[in-house]
Amino acid sequence: MSEFRSHRRQALRATAVGFGSTACSALLHAVSAADSGTSPFHFQPRAKRVIFMFMKGGPSQVDTFDYKPKLQQDDGKSLPFAKPRVQFAPTGNLLGSPWRFRQHGQSGIPVSELFPHVARCVDDICFLNSCHGTNAAHGGAALKLHTGSDNFVRPSMGAWVSYGLGTENQNLPAFITICPTLAHGGRNNWGSAFLPAQSQGIPLGVASQPATAAAVRYIANPRWSSPAQRTQLDLLRALNEQQLQQNPAEMALEARIQSYELAFRMQTEMPRLQDLTQETHETQELYGLHDKVTENFARQCLMARRFAEAGVRFIQVTHSDAFVQWDQHGDLRKGHTKNALEVDRPIAGLLTDLKQRGLLDDTLVLWGGEFGRTPTAQGTTDGRDHNPEGFTMWMAGGGVRGGMRYGASDEYGYYAAENPMHIHDVHATLLHLLGMDHERLTYRYAGRDFRLTDVAGKVHHGIFS
Amino acid sequence: MSVPASTSEFVRRCPIRLLLALLVIQISLGSNATCAAGDDTFTTKIAPLLQQHCLSCHGPDAQESGLRLDSLQALNTGGKAGPPIIPGKPDESLLMMAVRRADATLQMPPDGKLPDEDIAVLQQWIAEGAQHPEGAVVPVQPALPFQPAQARQFWAFRPLQPPALPAADANPVDVLTERLLQQRGFVRNPPADKLTLIRRASLMLTGLPPAPAEIDAFLADASPTAFATVIDRLLDSQQYGEHWGRHWLDVVRYADSNGLDENIAHGNAWRYRNYVIRSIQHDKPFDQFLREQLAGDLLTDSASDEQTRNDRLIATGFLSLGPKVLAEGDEKKLMLDIIDEQLDTIGRSMLGLTIGCARCHDHKFDPLTQADYYSLAGIFQSTRTMESLKRIAKWHENSVATTADRQRLEQHQAQIAAKKAEIDGLLQQSSAAGSTTAAGQPVPENQLPAEIQQQLAALRASLRELEAAVPELPTAMGVTEAEIANARILSRGNHLAPGRLVPRTIPVVLDADSSFRISDGHSGRLEFAEWLTSTRNPLTPRVIVNRVWRWHFGRGIVATADNFGHQSEPPVNPPLLEWLAADFVSSGWSLKALHRRILLSQTWQASADRSNPAEQTDPDNHLQWRWSVQRLEAESVRDSILAVCGRLDRSIGESMLHVKNREFLFDHTSKDLTSYDSLRRSVYLPVIRNNLYDAMSLFDCTDGTVPNGDRGASTVASQALFLMNSPLVISAAEHLARDLCSSSSDFSVRADRLPRAVLGRQLSAAELDGLQQAARQLNIQLQADGVPEAERDLAVWTSLSQTLLMSNEFLYIR
Repeated sequence: MSEFRSHRRQALRATAVGFGSTACSALLHAVSAADSGTSPFHFQPRAKRVIFMFMKGGPSQVDTFDYKPKLQQDDGKSLPFAKPRVQFAPTGNLLGSPWRFRQHGQSGIPVSELFPHVARCVDDICFLNSCHGTNAAHGGAALKLHTGSDNFVRPSMGAWVSYGLGTENQNLPAFITICPTLAHGGRNNWGSAFLPAQSQGIPLGVASQPATAAAVRYIANPRWSSPAQRTQLDLLRALNEQQLQQNPAEMALEARIQSYELAFRMQTEMPRLQDLTQETHETQELYGLHDKVTENFARQCLMARRFAEAGVRFIQVTHSDAFVQWDQHGDLRKGHTKNALEVDRPIAGLLTDLKQRGLLDDTLVLWGGEFGRTPTAQGTTDGRDHNPEGFTMWMAGGGVRGGMRYGASDEYGYYAAENPMHIHDVHATLLHLLGMDHERLTYRYAGRDFRLTDVAGKVHHGIFS
Repeated sequence: MSVPASTSEFVRRCPIRLLLALLVIQISLGSNATCAAGDDTFTTKIAPLLQQHCLSCHGPDAQESGLRLDSLQALNTGGKAGPPIIPGKPDESLLMMAVRRADATLQMPPDGKLPDEDIAVLQQWIAEGAQHPEGAVVPVQPALPFQPAQARQFWAFRPLQPPALPAADANPVDVLTERLLQQRGFVRNPPADKLTLIRRASLMLTGLPPAPAEIDAFLADASPTAFATVIDRLLDSQQYGEHWGRHWLDVVRYADSNGLDENIAHGNAWRYRNYVIRSIQHDKPFDQFLREQLAGDLLTDSASDEQTRNDRLIATGFLSLGPKVLAEGDEKKLMLDIIDEQLDTIGRSMLGLTIGCARCHDHKFDPLTQADYYSLAGIFQSTRTMESLKRIAKWHENSVATTADRQRLEQHQAQIAAKKAEIDGLLQQSSAAGSTTAAGQPVPENQLPAEIQQQLAALRASLRELEAAVPELPTAMGVTEAEIANARILSRGNHLAPGRLVPRTIPVVLDADSSFRISDGHSGRLEFAEWLTSTRNPLTPRVIVNRVWRWHFGRGIVATADNFGHQSEPPVNPPLLEWLAADFVSSGWSLKALHRRILLSQTWQASADRSNPAEQTDPDNHLQWRWSVQRLEAESVRDSILAVCGRLDRSIGESMLHVKNREFLFDHTSKDLTSYDSLRRSVYLPVIRNNLYDAMSLFDCTDGTVPNGDRGASTVASQALFLMNSPLVISAAEHLARDLCSSSSDFSVRADRLPRAVLGRQLSAAELDGLQQAARQLNIQLQADGVPEAERDLAVWTSLSQTLLMSNEFLYIR
């Protein structure tokens, strides 16, 4: 036995081979086993994995999932209460939604005509109508949503999840982000900051590329056939093993030998998972893969399901073109119509598909943007400004009660009013659903134990099924 | 008659009228003759004001924010934000801040501003010393949560205590490590073989493996000073400055873009990077190096020449390089976040303290109070880092133009003027030649003779060219002094809850002899820099020598290289740390001297062999009985591959960004236009926050957002994918293979040269055998893959070369 305090994290850093793999989950096991004695988790997990659908730019809550009759009534009037102390840009009077809302499902939850397909899934969805954040600019808000901090570089929520739970599949990363955006936080939105490197998200492509081009960097060899590369790796293995004989017990050297083998296997595994031709025509249709308008996001969603099935813990899909997709300061009618059309069917397709495969029970789906939009008009009467004060995200599956609206915004949909759910609360609740206590999932760095939720965060038990 | 024994208790229960009556009685009794006039002011003017506007919320019935204003004691203790009155200093008094309503965050009374004359009365009363009938207003300083003298006993805060050493000429590093080894009955490994040593020294000091000729020279040199000669050569090289400069860039979170929310280009950051490389290469005394980075702008007067002056301005880029929330709508918050980032960076990089932890509350573990934090914050609040805080905020840049630059600009402007004169001259000439209209007006140009028109067009074209090429005078990110102002303590770090002002100074625990002073009219930054590098501060030399130790051995004597506080790992070998720090200071803060001390020790030269019995009880090598095998850092992986393949461009780089200063790297699009095609050393490649070059990020390079003196060394499959499949590695391997193939067609010659180039040695018979077999198999496979015969030889050797580049022997320092 070593007489010195074991530097477990140091050892983890040096020896973890794969993409998070058992080393990290072992950490959680060790930590919580010490805490509670038996269970590998802080709580009984309701969800095993997360699919996060990020709507870059900030979709408008009052035009989608937060119906406000009073806003329709008072269209054109001035807001009868004060606007926030810090606003992104000045706005004018109230602007009623240009879209009609209808009640859907057994729950009768109103959804605007922008989302006819998602509307059919309302009984599986828990709408969080009282979300709020702290930053009114895209960069700060996107960072807050992804990392819990808008002014410091902190690990992303996917990295925390992969650090906490590890991957279910040794040949795959624990955290994959498909076509993420490089602006407004970029890599920090899927980075691991001070957590071990293997907990960071593996990006497949970027937002300016079509999903067809989304691939792990360097996954394919431009020069050698697979058998030629095998010959090369066999020679390498022989050389490395001779080297290891001279330095036995060097775990890092041994780990590196294995890392080449894993990489070689991944070269076939990843393309296979991303090959959507293996899906039936019906499934492809369900997501809208054959329609040019929905094809790109459908591809992301279908890949997400395949990754979820294969054991990836945290999968993020991003709806963003090379611009700030949902950011309709002007052209609200045109922009939101186009955006909703692109994602509505793929989202509903994913929910339906997960449900019919029995995956929805333990897969938590999270939908939302970095903030919402103001119920007041910006510019003319066809735009809305950023609004972090009150907006809507939604969750489905993974132990969340469907067919409900949780919390509420004020009568115009400007501020979170009832059961306000800060971004920190969303994080705390998400971790709880995965079986982790946001106050106990910590990492010691620079002399402090850090958490995804910093010093805040409240679990909202009211949404659990 | 006498006042009740417990005045304050009594006062608290008294209705105000009775209180006033009592005060009048007291005054009339002349119990305190010296303040009779003030008492009068209080009784006649101040007390009624307080009664009318304040006491309903800050009196006997209610104490908003814990504050009441109805007794001397209450005035002295104050509320949550601290005492409301500082006698003689109305501008520093919270009460005045509140009634003046200049700051949106503290405005009293809440229902409307007081009449100006009332404000003037309050101001005058405080300015004259705030005389109070119960006695003098003496704001109570909150008690420290620790005893300074006791807190200074913590190992990191104690003065340096170098151990006494025997007079023998053994290297003190060895003597001091050996003491610990002996206590455990360990015996240090013998030195590694010469080939391992030169490889280790080259990679450690320059980040590049030795060239075959350098290895041969060292192996042939049998003199006792052979290794010292190698060390001197390496320390003299530009590559040393580049490699160790890069280490420092980790600590100062260097980057060529802002990152965070608005990722715009630090177009001039490279000047700071090259300043660091130059300073390290020339072994600038490290204390001076630190002073320049903290306060170089205040040291320009003593600069002997222009280059030195500019270097000192450039050095302050250190304070400005941090990531900033440039689109923050709340300007005050933005400024406080920037100061916080500066304090955090200074604390961790130079003091090993997590000062940032005391922004919202007293430090949970270390003797640093919130007051300490805001005392330091005041220094940096009095420093100008930003030119504008308006979205998108702009950082300040100092001019670093040389006389030559200015002359070049003047010459260029003179050329423009001359060109303009030439054009005017030609126009005048043609009008003098009689080209006027009947009305005496000049002839329109399009009616001038064709020849003249052509001349004019040519002149104007070259004028446009000149005007488009006006040389820009160079500027550098950096700071300058700003309006001097102390900072207020912010409750929970919230700028909407300001509290009392604190004077600008250093933390109490660090000011052991209470001698820290700031000259009038100074921000205190220069004084801070001088204190930081003085013998009064033992932390900085400890932190620096520990960093150097960490970069050599893979783990510091203090394992937490960026944190020396109570949450740190205590030093494994305190006497060694003390001796190294003291020796570093007495040798004039010379990094090169420190390197020589370390590299010439048996400790550094020990082999990596684990067959030593010490392995059983100290497998992690905490006591330094062997060399710890370390993976190459990201830059060294790339640079070494390029170097051994003959591809490395060793020239010094300047800016390699594709966008101009302050332009977006990524706006709303996610297109990555940064090019990493350059073959220069990695230290010169752009460091783009939020999207670091993957050859760097894959191998644990820091992305320059926070100080990091202790990079990880992960082993993940994506590194393997990079080495197996990236065009960078394959094309470098092909370059080497081409060289091998053109040198000889003989297998044995190539099989001799290849490993010598990559690994610095020849292969064993068994290894050769494996290589030959692989070559044969590859040949067959590549033929099957359709590679034409003419290309196959090169392809086989490309594959073999790449294999050696992927090997552990190449990627690890043994």
